[in-house]
Amino acid sequence: MRIVLAVLCAVALVGCRSDKKPDEQAFQSSIDSLKNQTSSIDTELINSVLQQIPSPLEISVLLRETGKGYDKSLLNSPDNAGRYNTSHKMALNLGVYGTDLGYTNVYQRAPDGTRYLKTIKSLADGLNIGQFFDIETIGRLASNNKNMDSLLLLTTQNFNDINAYLQRQSRANLSVLLLTGGWVEAMQITCEMSSKVPKNKTLADTIGEQKIILEQIAKLLSFYPDDEAMASLLKDMEELKKVYERVTINYTFKEASIEVINGVTMVKDNSTTSVEITPDDVLAIKAKMTEIRNKIIS
Amino acid sequence: MNKNLVLVLLLMIASGASQELIGQCDPDHFSNACIPKLAEGYNFLKTYRIDGEGGAREKIEYSYVFTKGTHYMINLCSHGGNVDGIVVSLFDSGRNKVATSKVNDEFTSAIVYPCNATGIYYIQYTFDGSTTKCGGSALGFKR
Repeated sequence: MRIVLAVLCAVALVGCRSDKKPDEQAFQSSIDSLKNQTSSIDTELINSVLQQIPSPLEISVLLRETGKGYDKSLLNSPDNAGRYNTSHKMALNLGVYGTDLGYTNVYQRAPDGTRYLKTIKSLADGLNIGQFFDIETIGRLASNNKNMDSLLLLTTQNFNDINAYLQRQSRANLSVLLLTGGWVEAMQITCEMSSKVPKNKTLADTIGEQKIILEQIAKLLSFYPDDEAMASLLKDMEELKKVYERVTINYTFKEASIEVINGVTMVKDNSTTSVEITPDDVLAIKAKMTEIRNKIIS
Repeated sequence: MNKNLVLVLLLMIASGASQELIGQCDPDHFSNACIPKLAEGYNFLKTYRIDGEGGAREKIEYSYVFTKGTHYMINLCSHGGNVDGIVVSLFDSGRNKVATSKVNDEFTSAIVYPCNATGIYYIQYTFDGSTTKCGGSALGFKR
């Protein structure tokens, strides 16, 4: 019986080791410029705020809905990737390119998407998290516009896996930068689109609603006061918050009604929010966003 | 113990059946199973792990910013392809309950929430007669 148990334990251990874990040592050394400050930070709190940040994909789908066509010039060119040679810049622009990839996918632009994927893989490799991208599978999916839904699903999973991995490794600071970069890029594209259709209330409201996300991002950055790059980003976000002071989001709660249809709870939301934002507010936010985004992608 | 029995046990471990055998929870397995169960037209956003740690945790909570004008779907997966007494409830930023997957003593497999108010929402998982207290969930959206 002891022999049987020993064999079982050995098999179980081998099974654990065969799990494809990234090379943690190499990862640690690659981000030595980012000092590990998480010991003094409430990791659980950071992770709980991080998970609230919505996917930039939601904004890309909204943009497509406005009827404005695909505009590659709004995105950060993959040619700029060579500029990003610090861990901070890599993480921020990994987020930026992640948003750009989502945008190309939503508009079903496979050739552009492939370029962004290669750039993302390269930056992720620089941070030793490239193993989360199965470039062969992704490349195959990206070769055909019919596969864009699958590609969207796979890349969303990849980014989720990266964030979960970074948080498990007590390196949530990289996750914060990644999400910040992704959000800034989504905001920049939305502001640019809004300036082309200034009477589009949905876009203006979307920009106004980002006040909620901005609060969360500023909160996340504030956890790293000793990190020079993150402190500088926080300063920018605080300035943006000042611009947002003129924007108001009003919430009215009314109990929702519920019915069950085919085993699914269908909700009728009777609550509402309304956004008070003027065209001048949108312009001021756009100007500040452009300034922040230019710092990130430069 | 004969060799055949040892072989069977080894195969069970290799196939992942050991999870059930020793009562461990593998929420990632259920979360991933939930992704393709999102209704047609929904874009996948996130998965959520539901691990009651054998009864040590009574509720598991996550949060996410929902946007007005967007439909969200949160589904549930657990052992045997049903929800196994897992209930998902949605609360707004003021902690008002907006929706639940247990309606009139009926457990539903998902919530569809057409959001009309942008803000932080809390997605809470609880157990009501659950035998395993283990499952997964996926969140998707469509405009």
